[in-house]
Amino acid sequence: MILEALEREGVEYIFGYPGGANLPIYQHLHEHPKLKHILVRHEQGAAHMADGYARACGRPGVVFATSGPGALNLVTGLCTAYMDSVPIIAITGQVNSTQVGRDAFQESDVIGATSSVTKHSYLVTKIDQLPRVIHEAFHIATTGRPGPVLIDICKDVQMADAERVTAERLHIPGYKLNGHIDLNHAKQAAEALAGAERPVILAGHGIILSHAEAQLQELAETAATPVGTTLLGIGGFPVKHPLSLHMTGFMGTGWCLKAVQNADVLMMVGMRVDDRVTAKLSEFAPNVKTFIHVDIDGSEMGKNVRPHIELVADAKQALAAMLPHIGTLQADRGRWLSQIDAWREEHPLRYKHSNGQLQPQDVLIDMYRRADSEAIVVADVGQNQIWAALWWNYDRPGLFINSGGAGTMGFALPAAIGAKFGRPELPVWCVAGEGGFVMTAQELSVAVEHQLDVKIVLLNNLSLGMVRQFQDDFYGGVRSQVDLTHMPDFVKLSEAYGMPALRVEKLEDIGLALDAAERTKGPFLIDFRIDPEANVYPIVPLGKGLGEFWEAPENA
Amino acid sequence: MPEATARLRPAPSPGSTGHFPASGEELATSRVRVLSVLVEDGQNTLTKIAGAVRRRGFHIRGLSIGPTREPGRSRITLEVDHGHAEADQVRKQLERLVDVVEVEDLTGDEVHNRELVVAKVKTLELARLIQRGAKVISTDTDGTTVEFSGDRDEIFDFVEELARHGIVDVVRSGPLVMRRTV
Repeated sequence: MILEALEREGVEYIFGYPGGANLPIYQHLHEHPKLKHILVRHEQGAAHMADGYARACGRPGVVFATSGPGALNLVTGLCTAYMDSVPIIAITGQVNSTQVGRDAFQESDVIGATSSVTKHSYLVTKIDQLPRVIHEAFHIATTGRPGPVLIDICKDVQMADAERVTAERLHIPGYKLNGHIDLNHAKQAAEALAGAERPVILAGHGIILSHAEAQLQELAETAATPVGTTLLGIGGFPVKHPLSLHMTGFMGTGWCLKAVQNADVLMMVGMRVDDRVTAKLSEFAPNVKTFIHVDIDGSEMGKNVRPHIELVADAKQALAAMLPHIGTLQADRGRWLSQIDAWREEHPLRYKHSNGQLQPQDVLIDMYRRADSEAIVVADVGQNQIWAALWWNYDRPGLFINSGGAGTMGFALPAAIGAKFGRPELPVWCVAGEGGFVMTAQELSVAVEHQLDVKIVLLNNLSLGMVRQFQDDFYGGVRSQVDLTHMPDFVKLSEAYGMPALRVEKLEDIGLALDAAERTKGPFLIDFRIDPEANVYPIVPLGKGLGEFWEAPENA
Repeated sequence: MPEATARLRPAPSPGSTGHFPASGEELATSRVRVLSVLVEDGQNTLTKIAGAVRRRGFHIRGLSIGPTREPGRSRITLEVDHGHAEADQVRKQLERLVDVVEVEDLTGDEVHNRELVVAKVKTLELARLIQRGAKVISTDTDGTTVEFSGDRDEIFDFVEELARHGIVDVVRSGPLVMRRTV
């Protein structure tokens, strides 16, 4: 019945791992050929695959795991999805309902362990609850602010005979969707933006989740207002658009940070305004007279920054409601926009490439030149993530995928695999450091088994680069436990998994290696040996305000 | 005896993490919100509410729970210290929970605020307690058991008075709060 219900919800892929407490489900899997099951090599990989799948194609990712360790291995993946508002349905096996609470073999309190990293969760102890629960879970995961939902199903329920049950009506009176826009607030927001002297819009993941990119662009153009995105908002506004400020936050572009720190009206749409965006909170956007905050989750209002005008609504509807009130723009934006252009000239993205070593930006620039906007980049966490965010000019949603809120190392490879299942027509590049890569490298088997066209770009600096950079700059220069000299030979490792790979140490070999990767069908890995001293810039020193960003040293 | 007295005394200052519900005076100046929460009565409802309060850095100072007229729904009365967060964050965080149907913030409203105390005291000399409105439930060789209900300040005073009678045991129900005008 579980599998029937999943078919009814339109599920195509399940990322899972069988075990004692979910065997009754697996027994009947072959009777449902429409459900394609991807056998992962570790449950964390399943959660990240479902996550990458959902971010790439917009449909919820589905995960199976058994009880105890199987379910607990999902926790990091659920947290990753929860922090970034990604819809996942995790179906975990639980011991028989008569054994719950007796410390049975592989029993653990999965609901208890996952409550804080799921949008909602269910323990199913009776068969008649199941159809309603599955239907509700999909509804809750995909509506409003999306998020992971976990269904823990006792083994005896999985085996119980049930009459053919169709989906029941939803019964979730406590589940509130903020579909009602306060038009008065929308008007106020539009007028504040239109009347501003130095307005800035910051856009987060909510733009992408609500498919509001067209409305955002129209609003920005109508109100002649520049737009920066958060790390997760990348793709919500075209980077090459003249009004683009690129990325904001403590590793954002210099011209964006200057604009934020000098703005008089700041509109934040579909974002949580977290510490990575604000840096030192008391110095965030100090010249703003009117903060406007648009988010579908009312609890975000005033959680970090108290807005003067709040709009608790879906981003697309909110922006559409604001548009008619922008009217014909009275304010003159010429000075503000040319000031921003001046900052763009003054603080460009740059990197030091005069020491003869391979720079990560050299690799990314060549990749972008080939792919333009016709590829998905899935980044891991650390320096590789910020380089991949800043050095590609993503022009639409869904092309850049990474773990923003949770910052989960090991995310990239399984998420890239999931993204490829979700968007098979697009090339998928997995960009990772060697530290994060080995955390989930076992999933290479999945890429090889399904001959997925996932190309892995390892930016290998033989160290935990971001941690090393922080230690160098903010922790007295003491390098502690960041040396990763002792790692496998990644070319041999790939070959052991049954996939081709190359190592690149020189600038002139980048193109050849990327050619080889593109020519090869199926997965491919390139181990780029980059400058071990390469750093991420700009960066705001820990504890400082956004205005105090450091820039890359200039080339000698 | 002194130990029992110390345990019963409310937290001395706003912002302290004492477990005991505050006096009315203290509540008025502290960061404690009084919330009436209508919930779907599920297996995990209370855990999820307590979890949401804990992980947002809030602290439960008082709690009571009981059925409502609607089958399958319970009413939880919470007194929550919201710490450094904005006052309305407690309500908003609870509203996010799928099991929560409705949250009313009753802080500072005109309310009936009642609590029940059941206490056993050593003495048989109960005039002062009875004068305050206590009712005797039972008397036996090692003392007398009384019950008392009242608003926050009455409870506070009653518990102080109890201490003078030699407390053997005391339990309190947690707050029950209802708006005066519906």
